[in-house]
Amino acid sequence: MLKKNPLYAIFLVLSLVAAACSGSSSEVAEGTSESDTDGTTEGSETNEQVDFDGTIKVGAALSETGKFSVEGADSRRGYDTWAQWVNTNGGIEVGDKVYDVEIIYYDDESDADTAANLTTKLIDQDKVDFLLGPYSSGLTVGASAIAEKNNVLMIEGNGTANSMFERGFKNLFLVATIASDYTKSGIEELAAGGAKTAVIAYEDTAFPTAVADGAQEHLEANGIEVLAVEKYPKDIQDVSAIMTKFRGLEPDIFVGGGHYNDAVLFVNSAKELGWDPDGMLITVGPSNPKLAEELGEDLNGVTGPTQWEATMAYEGDYFGSAAQYAEYFQEQHGQPPVYQAASATASGLALQIAIEEAGALDTDSVRTALLEMDAQTFYGPINFDERGVNTAKPMGTVQVIDGEIPVVAPEAAKIRDLEYPIAN
Amino acid sequence: MNLISFLNSPAAKKLGWALCGLAVAGMAILPMTHFGSNAELFTLTLMLTSIGVAINWNITGGFTGYVDFGHAVWFGLGAYVTSMLMAISIKLDPVTLEETVEADGLGTAWGPVPAIIVGALFTGLCAAGIGRATMRLKGPYFSIAMLGTLVAVREIVRVAEPITGGGVGLNLPPYINRPLFYYIHLVLVVVLGVFTWWLRKSQFGTNLIAIREDEIGAEMRGINTIATKVAAFSFSGFSTAVFGGLWAYQNTSVDPDIAFIETRTIDAVLGTLFGGIGTVLGPILGSAGLFWLKEVLWARFTESHLIFQGVLLILLVMYMPKGIAGLFDTRGTSLATIWSKWMPSKDESPDASPTPKSGSGKPVVDTVATSNEGAV
Amino acid sequence: MDQFLQALINGVALGGMYAILVLGFSVIWGVMGVINFAHGEFVMLGAYMAWLANNQLGVDPFLSAPFIFVLMMGIGYLLQLLLVNRVIDRPHLVSLLVMFGVSIIMANGLKLIFSADFRRADSSLRGAYDLTDNITLPVTKTAVFFIALAVLGGLSLFLQSTRLGKSIRAAAQNREAAQIVGININKVYAITFALCIGITGLAGALISPILSIAPFQGPPLTLRAFAVTAMAGLGSVKGALGGAIVLGLIEATVAVYVSGIGTNLAIIASFVILVVALVVRPQGLFGGLRPVDATAS
Repeated sequence: MLKKNPLYAIFLVLSLVAAACSGSSSEVAEGTSESDTDGTTEGSETNEQVDFDGTIKVGAALSETGKFSVEGADSRRGYDTWAQWVNTNGGIEVGDKVYDVEIIYYDDESDADTAANLTTKLIDQDKVDFLLGPYSSGLTVGASAIAEKNNVLMIEGNGTANSMFERGFKNLFLVATIASDYTKSGIEELAAGGAKTAVIAYEDTAFPTAVADGAQEHLEANGIEVLAVEKYPKDIQDVSAIMTKFRGLEPDIFVGGGHYNDAVLFVNSAKELGWDPDGMLITVGPSNPKLAEELGEDLNGVTGPTQWEATMAYEGDYFGSAAQYAEYFQEQHGQPPVYQAASATASGLALQIAIEEAGALDTDSVRTALLEMDAQTFYGPINFDERGVNTAKPMGTVQVIDGEIPVVAPEAAKIRDLEYPIAN
Repeated sequence: MNLISFLNSPAAKKLGWALCGLAVAGMAILPMTHFGSNAELFTLTLMLTSIGVAINWNITGGFTGYVDFGHAVWFGLGAYVTSMLMAISIKLDPVTLEETVEADGLGTAWGPVPAIIVGALFTGLCAAGIGRATMRLKGPYFSIAMLGTLVAVREIVRVAEPITGGGVGLNLPPYINRPLFYYIHLVLVVVLGVFTWWLRKSQFGTNLIAIREDEIGAEMRGINTIATKVAAFSFSGFSTAVFGGLWAYQNTSVDPDIAFIETRTIDAVLGTLFGGIGTVLGPILGSAGLFWLKEVLWARFTESHLIFQGVLLILLVMYMPKGIAGLFDTRGTSLATIWSKWMPSKDESPDASPTPKSGSGKPVVDTVATSNEGAV
Repeated sequence: MDQFLQALINGVALGGMYAILVLGFSVIWGVMGVINFAHGEFVMLGAYMAWLANNQLGVDPFLSAPFIFVLMMGIGYLLQLLLVNRVIDRPHLVSLLVMFGVSIIMANGLKLIFSADFRRADSSLRGAYDLTDNITLPVTKTAVFFIALAVLGGLSLFLQSTRLGKSIRAAAQNREAAQIVGININKVYAITFALCIGITGLAGALISPILSIAPFQGPPLTLRAFAVTAMAGLGSVKGALGGAIVLGLIEATVAVYVSGIGTNLAIIASFVILVVALVVRPQGLFGGLRPVDATAS
């Protein structure tokens, strides 16, 4: 009888064994080669200057492939910039010893399961001392749960959804501004300009929801009436229905959030309905020069939040000013830093400051130092609250004006006044 | 031929069973060896999940002949109901630093065991209801109706915000114990594998195959085809939901887009096809093999590995329609055979199967499937 | 009232766009029995071509569309010759899975070539045309709508009146009989496939100023093609228009009248209608080229 055919069993054994082996061998191979290259490039330059007493191992799962591959690469450049700077500027002082830094990267394929798996691997197999975050809230949720359970600190700057900080985690720290405060400075500036009514549309996923909930609060706090709130599912192809409804309400400003793609849809749809609200605040997109390139003059006057711009007037002991950081980054990578990269560098920097302050490498001491931190950096002030969120740094707001993208808010960082209402 | 005849000898059979046992035993002691780091166990747990889903898909897709393109809906429902029963959120008071734990979702904050069981039972009921309606459809129409069901259910979950957390989803109490999850999955997959082996031999399983081969004929022979196929579909949904619930717990959070992700269906279909559709071991071998292939491709060709996967799929479908098991097991089937049943005008499959052939003089012969047949 | 009329205009315009987007999918399925899972990727390929012409040479997508139509016809013909022809005689799921493989290859190939960034082509036909104070006509979509009507009408005429068109219809209805009366079935299939991929690429070029272009934007379009085709009946030209307008109207009106979650509800509604339509009236609402009864065994 074929049903008891032992070939089955042979295949089963082979495939299971193969799966087990490949799981270990291929990944390990990748891991070591990655860390080797990182180690050697950084080591060769550093050894001439300082003899380090040891190496602090930091791990990060980042998206090299999949839908976040672009932002993942930006984040990696940011982390590399930090490691490079540390290793060529005397290392990290821990008590009376000096350490250099090695970052071990894996590709999480923009997949949550993989990011969680790799985080486990970084902790178990690579025995990293600290973790830096992956790109996006969706990937950070799972990875941070593993860091929490293993009592390893994870510092991140590119996963800002509020829900992650409502889990009582003690080991997750965010240097960037949290999602609910993305629109704060922009709305304050628009309110000062005279806006009285607003409508909100947002994508129904974790990050945009947090941004929109925050926007609603900030609008009301600034005396702006919210006439309607609409949410829409991911991968939407057409927003003309939402915009038709909004046009009928005649609000002063439109607040919209989701992905880069949604910014295109909103601006297009408003144009084809002949609707010109006095102000448009769009969460993701306006700060990215590519959007202005794609949309041209249609984007004129649209405002949007930014975590960081090189023109901001921030300064710190490490890297110097924001502009100097941008220059250093440009030297390293041949391109200017986007804010995702700056946030990544700042994550590493916060870790460094905390380690030096603590004078130790154990999780508890460094955590205490992080919670007590009150530092000025190129990225802005860093001061974590009890959730692990940096509440000291305000979100910047940019406005697209004649192809330029100047910062228009907050007061401390702006280089130009907000144009409101948009002249059309 | 010699190899095949050797493999059919009693001694080889005993050897085969011993190897089967050895494989399971090997996987059972793995956590105690140096390969058994948490990361490896997590990888293997994910592999076991995809095997489990594929085995369940094969019960409807392979045995009964209803090719479900929305199978991920049962995984997602299981994950969601489990999460809705377990969900909590922790708020930290900014002044006193006191933690308050609030129950989310349905507000029950149950433990994992009752939550996963209730989640799976609920999903089984849903599968029975939806199956009763959609299983009236045949061939590609059933497949598309299930694809539509997947999208519709995902959006309904998104809209039912008060209990599902909407697009943001829900957080579960994080409990991460890789060896435990690994053993649970291993036991589940072994039990499910033995169960399908028994199912295949049972009268019920024979009835399923009868439905696949000729539904009207089965009806005429006194099989209650509707009850039989809906029961199989419902079980498949129930059992998939168990894996979904476990996945949610182990992932510590759910949202509609990852719980109802289409690739879960695709992996189940591909894995089963690769291993041999309609066989007991096909989905197990195929999913394990595919998982292993992906790991290899992923490590070697990060940028282009998905392209290779696409090429592999095309080659597989065109040149190995009966999968690995099909090379030596004639009782398996191929998707071609299954769907040919519903295409009376032009698609009678010349595939090796006991399909009643209609008399049209078809000029084209499915040479690949036929040559496979010849090799056995 | 104004808002209702505006929603109606939006819905019909959107419907016209969907009609040309799904036409190729529907006809390939209806005539050849091939379920083109890579449909959305072919749309994207056409859109990328239009974007490239727009970005590099400054050509308006509406002007490059005819050239893209011809180019995509060539690609379709080659694909039919190299791949589809080998599985055309096997059951539908085989060709479906092969096309699914093609979609994976195309999406990732597009990503390798153009990166995952979102693109949009620029057209001089854009903005709004004011009908009254509160009602506007979306210029780009209206243009697409009329081009869609012309293409649908042209295809309909081609199928009804030309010898080749009649052969295609005959092949769709009864392959064996068509062969017996001397129709070269392979040629018919090759022309059908080339024509449909051409139309799909043309649709991609036309939507390139409206939707964002990205490698992984294909599957939602394929899903819509499924919904429209299942509602409308396989290969039915007027069904494609009818089904697409129904879908467009649902999407455009539900969101206007239900606050907060209207957009989600519209999607639920269209897929619930898809499932219910299949279960209740599996031959489609408008009748099709191919005589299929999904519940008959």
